[in-house]
Amino acid sequence: MLDRIMHLLPPELKAVLDKLPESAMEQLEEIRIREGRPLELGVRGQSRFAASDGTLRAGSDGAYKPNADTCRKLLEKITNHSLYAMEEELKRGFITVAGGHRIGLAGRTILDGGHVRGIRDIGGFNIRIAREVVGSARNLLPKLLDKNRKSVHSTLILAPPQQGKTTIVRDIARSISYGHWGMFEHAAGWSGRKVAIVDERSEIAACVRGIPTFDVGPRTDVMDACPKAEGMMMLLRSMSPDVVIVDEIGRPEDGDAIREASHAGISVIATAHAYDLQDARGRPVLRQLLEEGAFTYVVELKRSADGFMHRVIAADRRDKLPAAAREPTATASIGEQEQAYAGMQRGDGP
Amino acid sequence: MIKLLGAVLILFAGTMIGFQQAARLAARPRQLRQLAHALQRLETEIGYGHTPLPEAMERTADAVPEPLAGLFRDATERVNGPEGLTFRESWEQAMTSGWGSTALKKTELSIMHRLGSTLGISDKEDQLKHIHLALLQLKAEEDAAREDQTRYEKMWKSLGVLIAVLVVILMV
Repeated sequence: MLDRIMHLLPPELKAVLDKLPESAMEQLEEIRIREGRPLELGVRGQSRFAASDGTLRAGSDGAYKPNADTCRKLLEKITNHSLYAMEEELKRGFITVAGGHRIGLAGRTILDGGHVRGIRDIGGFNIRIAREVVGSARNLLPKLLDKNRKSVHSTLILAPPQQGKTTIVRDIARSISYGHWGMFEHAAGWSGRKVAIVDERSEIAACVRGIPTFDVGPRTDVMDACPKAEGMMMLLRSMSPDVVIVDEIGRPEDGDAIREASHAGISVIATAHAYDLQDARGRPVLRQLLEEGAFTYVVELKRSADGFMHRVIAADRRDKLPAAAREPTATASIGEQEQAYAGMQRGDGP
Repeated sequence: MIKLLGAVLILFAGTMIGFQQAARLAARPRQLRQLAHALQRLETEIGYGHTPLPEAMERTADAVPEPLAGLFRDATERVNGPEGLTFRESWEQAMTSGWGSTALKKTELSIMHRLGSTLGISDKEDQLKHIHLALLQLKAEEDAAREDQTRYEKMWKSLGVLIAVLVVILMV
């Protein structure tokens, strides 16, 4: 996975990262590059500064500082030497590169009639490394099944940033698409379902020229880089999905599209930024959707040292289901995945 | 006999030098025109296609004849190379090393260098403006080159022969 990001880095930066200890390399989550300031790395959820000899330290003294030339080279590489072709990305403030890695940008914005038209003088980069964790939703999915329709219930997944929402929905999409319903007695013999993903930020499927680079299953269609509300409507009309998956809902038009989908008998699995259900009820769009019963289940997600932890709450009859303690979304014994899991403490988050 | 052979050789060489100079004079406006075509192609790729620069350069290289195509292809190869060069560096290296194989002069080279330092690092309108400016400058050079061609092409052809004849006469 890291090879894909390494070729984008300027040689001097690559030289520093190449000297990092292997263990840090495997658990690298973020590379934060700021012009003239120390190189920061996110390793296992902790912030570290890297010195030019590859040692990691908690303090910023003596850390390697990328210069203006390095940052310019990096910007050229990630934009494929074509800033003019990235206007849409610059307006959103990030670029998604092959492999699903997202590179956030910070700098001086260009305004046009009060709206941000782009960023220039880019001085800060945040490379977030995407990792695919097959089986990360193995314990969660059986709790969301709809026995009558042999499909899943509409579900809202809540978590703060960087808690693995995207990783989980990707695995849910893959499992539904393949028909891997997990350990659930009724689910034996259910076939896979048609899944449609609206991937506004190219993170779930990490499409390159329209083709997903992550395995999202054989029955999955992806509308890449498409605004969520419009994308959902287009997919409803054109691709006849059984399940629609969207990331990070929150705008009023997203609510309308989800309502439309649930009236059409389609399950929607959506994620949103919120600490817990209480927090989500504070957001107008989410509260309305929850009150209308657009979602059957709400899942609170949290990342801990043992992997992803989840708590499933029935949204429309909350009083009947006491809030249970969080459980891991995947057991530690998922065979060959175990090792990948140990080295993987985060997904590519929101 | 040897004298005669020498005279013939000198005549031949003089004629050839004259013709070569004339050919260079004729080639310069033609290549300037081709270069302008290449930049127009690049302009279209950037302005309408939003094509990423390396790909746009490749397409440009396919659209123009050698030796200009080589310049663009070389720049693309350098930018994709493992050294991690910036676009500006690869462009300048490619232009400087390949310029000798063209009939173009230093003035055009500096126009291209100026263009190379702006390509790919700004928004679309800005890119188009810079390409447009380079096109205007190339057009001025082309006009001057055409004038030179009409004025000196014939002269060089006859001058080569005449000087050779003069040298032969002086030697005899």
